[in-house]
Parts: sequence; structure tokens; C-alpha cells
Amino acid sequence: MNVGTLQQIEDLRREHAGLTSLVRREHATFVAGTISVEATAGDQEAISDAFEIEILIPSTFPKDLPQVKEIGGRIPTEFGHVNPDGTLCLGVPIELRRAFSEMPTLAGFVENLVVPYLYAFVIWQKEGRHPFGEADHGNEGIARHYVDALKLADELSALAVVTFLAEHGYRGHLDCPCGSGAKSRACHGAELLHLWRTHNRSTLRADVLAVLDVCLRKFGSSIPKGLATRITRLDAAWKLWPKSELPAQSWGGFQDHRRKRRS
Amino acid sequence: MAIDTERFSRFLEAVASEIDIPPGKYKEAVERYTAVARWLEEGRYPGASGKPRIFTQGSFRLGTVVRPIRDGVEADYDIDLVEELLIGKGSTTPQAVKTMVGDRLREHETYRRLLDAEGRRCWTLEYSEQDGVGFHLDVLPAVPDPPSPTNSAISITDKGLAGYSWSASDPNGYANWFEGIHARAILVQKQAIFRSAPSHYASVERVPNHEVRTPLQRAVQLLKRHRDMYFSDPKRSPYAPISIIVTTLAAQLYDNDRDLLSTLSAIATTLLDYSPLLDGQSLPPSLSIAGLIRREADGTWYIGNPVNPDENFADRWHLDNQARARAFFGWIRILKHDLVEVFGDTSRQVVEERLSKSMGSRAVSGHVDLLFPARHVVTAPQVSISSPAKPWRRE
Repeated sequence: MNVGTLQQIEDLRREHAGLTSLVRREHATFVAGTISVEATAGDQEAISDAFEIEILIPSTFPKDLPQVKEIGGRIPTEFGHVNPDGTLCLGVPIELRRAFSEMPTLAGFVENLVVPYLYAFVIWQKEGRHPFGEADHGNEGIARHYVDALKLADELSALAVVTFLAEHGYRGHLDCPCGSGAKSRACHGAELLHLWRTHNRSTLRADVLAVLDVCLRKFGSSIPKGLATRITRLDAAWKLWPKSELPAQSWGGFQDHRRKRRS
Repeated sequence: MAIDTERFSRFLEAVASEIDIPPGKYKEAVERYTAVARWLEEGRYPGASGKPRIFTQGSFRLGTVVRPIRDGVEADYDIDLVEELLIGKGSTTPQAVKTMVGDRLREHETYRRLLDAEGRRCWTLEYSEQDGVGFHLDVLPAVPDPPSPTNSAISITDKGLAGYSWSASDPNGYANWFEGIHARAILVQKQAIFRSAPSHYASVERVPNHEVRTPLQRAVQLLKRHRDMYFSDPKRSPYAPISIIVTTLAAQLYDNDRDLLSTLSAIATTLLDYSPLLDGQSLPPSLSIAGLIRREADGTWYIGNPVNPDENFADRWHLDNQARARAFFGWIRILKHDLVEVFGDTSRQVVEERLSKSMGSRAVSGHVDLLFPARHVVTAPQVSISSPAKPWRRE
């Protein structure tokens, strides 16, 4: 764990003096205790509450983001946003990255990601509604995020976008992957650039697989050949799947490529 | 209001982490003994067929290291390194084996300086470190001693009053047995560690064993620390149960319990169930069949090495009028009081005092809030939420 992270942990505990428990392991540092949540959202009601949480700060922070558990037993599974291992599901990975990039410190992580989640829980518990909406579970939520954020037509366009980013990064002079025909810089340039900056190789790869999974299930063999070819190329470069985990359905150019590789 | 099991377990886990060897210190220890191992490997050992096998044993091998406390002060860590020379037992003597290893250590300028006087079974290198907490690195010379059921048995050297002799041991066999006991928990832990830092490890399999701490390892650590504190009184200390007994019994009573409190509770309760043996009474069939602790007809005690039943860890328990046996059961009774029953108390002050007394205040004080969450928290400034993420769920 680097010095910068150690300093951020100190800053976090100074800002939230209730986080009294500190445990250092080799793979992570655990900070636990009570945080107070004083928050308002736009013109929605203000809340004043306190939660017991445990924050796992990986030794690879900020490459890997912290994981948070609510340890006071207040959040029931009915809320729908707690993972089986007890960690709070604060948002789809790319959203976490986006929010974190706005204030890339541990204190910022708590303020921008943990507090809003707890706020949403308090409102949900009082009024039975989700003040900020909910992302669909699993890969659907990830794919939908791209569709909503870039106002795309469907998940196939989302697949085109993430594949494009994985293949080219941000290239303003290339045609925008949304399929509009305009150049990137004249179309979704700003969003693409932001996505490119926010992602790292492993998060981008994970999102490609997630969106592809949704597309395979929803569109199956009607994935356009051009898109399939690009994914084939990406697989050749990045080895998206180990041989044992090839997607079950056959579609377009992908199977051809695998057959070629085996021979 | 009773505090719940998850809370207690989380608290105990935090205390166990405090008494564990810190990650930085562990790295230092590995550097030290790896350097010694490399030096020993390159030595000339007349009669040996190939390089010696060098490996750790004891708490560094099993992942049950606790920060040593002697006379109430932090003391040096003990590292055990076995050097198994590949020489036939019949073609050498214990003295020759011991001497060869000592000579090799002395050939190194630094190790010659760090070497302590010859020990009964080992050569000891004393490291003092900048932070004041050093290491005692014991190098135990040995030769293979096949055949054995585990195929890993060795003979170590023993320097007694009457001269050198061989002593049977099987640290690799024991370590393999121990690992088998909590293998499933190890895998669960590795998965959790991998998930917490996916960019750090190539795969779950690549998470190193030494980063894992299962409830069994944590229980052994807590037992050992409680023992060190309980037996710190000089009148009691000669009769403290040796670590191999604590570790072996705990492992035999570990039933893949997922949480630490259940693990400790099962160990303490079942061991106490063996205490009728002190008065020569018999045990219920389930316990006597398990036979973790046996009392023989002649009044002596038996706690067998699971990989070598000929080895009796409790062979001194009957001495001084059963002193060690009585000390053991007296200690377990107090341990159950201090680490299991304590959580029935609802007063923060009482609980904190009892735990600090039995485990050391440094290990306990930072984590009492986990048991008794602060009611009045220092208020953080108000947050104005804008562009929040939508809550999600992985599956």
C-alpha cells in the first residue's frame, strides 16, 4: 500500500471520527465503525442518520476500488442491492469509476458513492421508492448504462461502442461507433473521451464481456457480421475468453476465427 | 440487549489481526530466512547426495504466528527453519549433522556474528531490527527418516546430557494434515481476497497461502495469545501448554465453522468436556472414542501427534502432581469465560476491561466500537448529492 493511500486513510478517519477500527492485512486495509450521513439530494428531503460500515481498501487502490459492507444489520436483502458476500452494490462498475474520478480519494469515495447509497436506502425504507432509480441487475445493468448515458438505440450499439473503445481508444477522426455516420468528435466525442479516460484495460474488458453477454442472449445470431468480426479481432488481441469458456452460441465470424486458431 | 454472533466474530477477527504478525514484518521475516536458506543450500556437506531440503515449520508454516509477549513486553518472533541434509541416517551421526550445519553458518561473516550458543536441537541466529522487534531464527539440522506413512518423516538432532541422539519429527506431514483440515475455508478465503483486489492476482489460485487466515488459524492465534497472557505469571509459566498441543486440539475440533465465535466456542466447550479425566473419571463414549486427550491406567496423559501416534505431546502432563494437566483445564475454563461468555455482558466498560486483561489492551481497545457502536457520532458536514450512481447488483 503506497504512502498516498495511507494518507488518504488518515484523512478519511479524521473526517469520519467514528471509523475507529483499523486492521491491516497484506491484500487490504479494513476500516470500520460508524459514519454519520447528513445528506440531501436536489429538492428531495434531507436525512440525518448514522450507519455502521466496514470499508475494505485493497492494496491496489485506486486501481481497484474499495468495497463496503453495512455491519449494523440494517439493510435487508429485500432492498435488492447487497451482493451475496454482503458488500453493498453501489453501482455498475463504470459508474463507480465515473463518480470516483470526480473526487478520487477515499473521503470522496464515501461522499460520492457510499452516502448517496445510504441516502437511497433510508428513503426506500421510509417511502418504498428508489430516489435515484435502480440499475438492472447483472450485465443488463451494465449494458443499459451505456444505452442511457449515450442515448443509444439498443445494446448492439452499446456493444459497438465498447468494442470500438477497446480496439481504438478515443479517435476523434474515426466514425462514431454509435452508427450515426458522423465523426466521433462531432458526435459522441465527449462521452467517448470520458469513458476512455475512466476505464482501464481490465474494466473495459469486463464491460465488453458483459455487454456481449446481453447481446448474445437478446440478439443471438442476428449480431451484425461486421461487429462479430471486430469482436473476433479483439479476442485475438486480448484473449477475451479462455478456450474453456467460449460463448455457447455460434455467430458469424467468431466461430470461424476459433476454428482457424485451433488449426 | 444481547450482541449478536456476527458482531463478536468481527471483533475477534480484528483482535486476531492485531496479534498477528504485521504484513511488513512478515516480509522482513521471509527475507531473513530466505537468505539463510540460500546460504545453507550452497554449503558442502560431505556424504550428502544433492542440495539440502530447507523449509519452515511451526507457526510460520501453519499461518498461526502471534506477536510474542514475554513479561508483558513485546518480544522477538521465533522462526523455525529445518535443514534436511540428504544423508542416510545410517551413514552419519546426530553430532556430525549438527556440526556440519553449524560450521556452514559460521562460514558466513554475518551469521557467525548473529549465532547464539549451541541449542539443544538447533542453531539460533538472533536478529535485532530497527523497530526493536527482532527474530530468533532457529535452524534445525535433520536427515530423512523413511519409511513413514507420510513419507516425509525426518530425524532431528538432540543434544542431551548424555550426548547427541536422534529425535523423530514430521513437520511436513503435520503441515499437510493441518492444511487438509481447513482446505475448504482456505479456498473460500482466497476467493474473497481475489475478488477484493482483482487487478493484483492473476487468478484465485495465485493468491498466496500466507495471505489467508481461516477461522481455524484465527482461533489458534487467539488461543495462543490468551495462553501467553494467562501464563505470564512466573509461577504459572513452566506449566503453560505447548503450542503444538493447542494447535493440534484446535484443528481436531474445527468443523468448518464459518465464524470465529462458533469455532472458539466449540473448541473451549469440548476441551472442557475432557476435564473429568483430571479426577480419574470416565468420559461419555463420544469423547472417549474421539480420544483427543486420553488418561492411561497409570495416570499418565496422551495427546497424540495425528501424523505420528508414537509421539505423545502430553508426555510431561503427569509430572509435579499433574501440574500441566491441571494448568491446561484451568486455563481452558478461564478462556471460555474470557473469549466466549464475555459477550453475554452488556456493559461496555466491563467487556473492555475483561478483554483487555485477557488479550492485551493494545489488541482490543481500537475495536471495542465494533461491539458497542458509538451512539453519538461526530457529525460530518452535509452532503449535497448530485449525479448519484444507481444502486446495482452483480447477479
